Amino acid sequence: MNTTQTLHDIIAAALSIPAEQVTDDLSYQSIPEWDSVSHIYLITELEAAFGITIDTEEVLEMSSVEQVKETLRKHNIEI
Amino acid sequence: MSLYGLIAQNKSLRYLDAVTGDSYTLPDLMKDVWDITERPALAFLYLDNSIASVKLLLQCLNSRLTLALLSPKLHLDYKQRLEEVYEPYYIYDVTRTEIPDRDLQDNMLFCNRKGIRNVIHPDIKVLLSTSGTTGSPKFVKLSEDNLEQNALSILDYLPINSNDVTPLNLPVFYSYGLSVFTTNSIAGGQIVCGNRDVIQKEFWEDMERYGYTSVAGVPYVYEMLHRIGFNRKEYPSLRYMTQAGGKLNGTLIKAFGEYLADRNKQFFVMYGQTEATARMAYMPPQDLLTKNGSIGKPIRGGQFTLAPDTHELLYSGPNVFGGYATTAADLTNFERLPVLHTGDVATCDEDGYYYITGRLKRFVKLFGTRINLDEVESILKQEIQGETFACIGVEDKHLLVFHRITGLEESYIRSLLSKKLGLHPTAFKAQLVEDFPLTPNGKLDYTALQKQDIPQVQH
Repeated sequence: MNTTQTLHDIIAAALSIPAEQVTDDLSYQSIPEWDSVSHIYLITELEAAFGITIDTEEVLEMSSVEQVKETLRKHNIEI
Repeated sequence: MSLYGLIAQNKSLRYLDAVTGDSYTLPDLMKDVWDITERPALAFLYLDNSIASVKLLLQCLNSRLTLALLSPKLHLDYKQRLEEVYEPYYIYDVTRTEIPDRDLQDNMLFCNRKGIRNVIHPDIKVLLSTSGTTGSPKFVKLSEDNLEQNALSILDYLPINSNDVTPLNLPVFYSYGLSVFTTNSIAGGQIVCGNRDVIQKEFWEDMERYGYTSVAGVPYVYEMLHRIGFNRKEYPSLRYMTQAGGKLNGTLIKAFGEYLADRNKQFFVMYGQTEATARMAYMPPQDLLTKNGSIGKPIRGGQFTLAPDTHELLYSGPNVFGGYATTAADLTNFERLPVLHTGDVATCDEDGYYYITGRLKRFVKLFGTRINLDEVESILKQEIQGETFACIGVEDKHLLVFHRITGLEESYIRSLLSKKLGLHPTAFKAQLVEDFPLTPNGKLDYTALQKQDIPQVQH
């Protein structure tokens, strides 16, 4: 399985939505499932899955799937 | 004087639209208001914190309408059920484009084709939900006097002034959020309306741009602030922070208390309930760190006593509600009880500071939302073949479901309750038991369940 697929699965699980619903332009608060609670949960899951530490600025910036990917790229994860 | 009258007297008051930065005085906002009925009638307002919602709320406060304040994110089934039970004359809900038997008017209100269906006691001004997101039709009945008196008591201890810039970062349909709105409207300066929350970059940009002087939060907000490293930064405009909506853990009280005290800022840890309009007690900031864990002292005009037998915390004051409504017929009366039974068990120290030591009522607070455990049990029973379930709260962190169905996956219960209650699935846990522990008179023994003192499943 490639990293993008893994990432989409993590996002789908954290937000408890179907994987098909995960698209690049999906953003924070655009659906009821992506709220502050699931966002913090998503950050924790990403940290565990990729072995990285996501700092404050990044937590606030990761407000869409596209921006989540950009942040991961900064951590040298190929997406 | 009416609540609206008190607000209208505040000449420093400005409502800002966080999105555009536009600023409005109260007369500005009321200049082009929509036509609403001059008769007493029930309005269901599903409000977010946008400037449009705030404008409607202010207009309705200045009318003869009785307002039920509700979350726009409530599950559609629940909205429909509530509307069937109460038959409101008006509904404001921007998430829907049509509602059966109702016409959408120019004023954005859905109007009941059948006309006004309710007889409402004139003292009932606002209805607030007690049960968070379970969709129970149970409302707390509050009068205009309740709202005013509680706002004035809060203004007695919070350092709100006309230079303040206050974000509406808690929902106004929630008693704590509503109290931030009423108190700052009466005595504050600028109120920034919008739906941004503390984990959005825009919230912090707004904080700098507008110079927020206070931030309010339920325990979960403080956990998030801690997680995103709030205390590693400086906020020159910030003067004080408030916390209510459940018990904040001692470590975070210390972390935020010290951070703020070191910078000559104040941290107000507070205690209340919707049944008391919002607030019953607060911790004077100077005693916060020496009395960590206390809910403090009663607000001005309020009094605590402890029930002799159970040590239940009892409250009396002008902000005590006028009873619950569970049907439309309950709107015909408003009877103020002399004493509010908080359902919390408490002690009082020699200096008159109260501490909550337990809970008599069956609910859990998850992410700041009060969830009635009996209601969750009946939701599960209804959804899963009439089976019996027992639910308990675990330190306001999780809701634990005990069941007897072999093969019933925890993930199924999690996703079911998550959908029904609109809360993240990780808030729910499930545990299979051989049998439920019972009390001598045959009822479910929740005390035993709480201690996890249950018959083990035989493998």
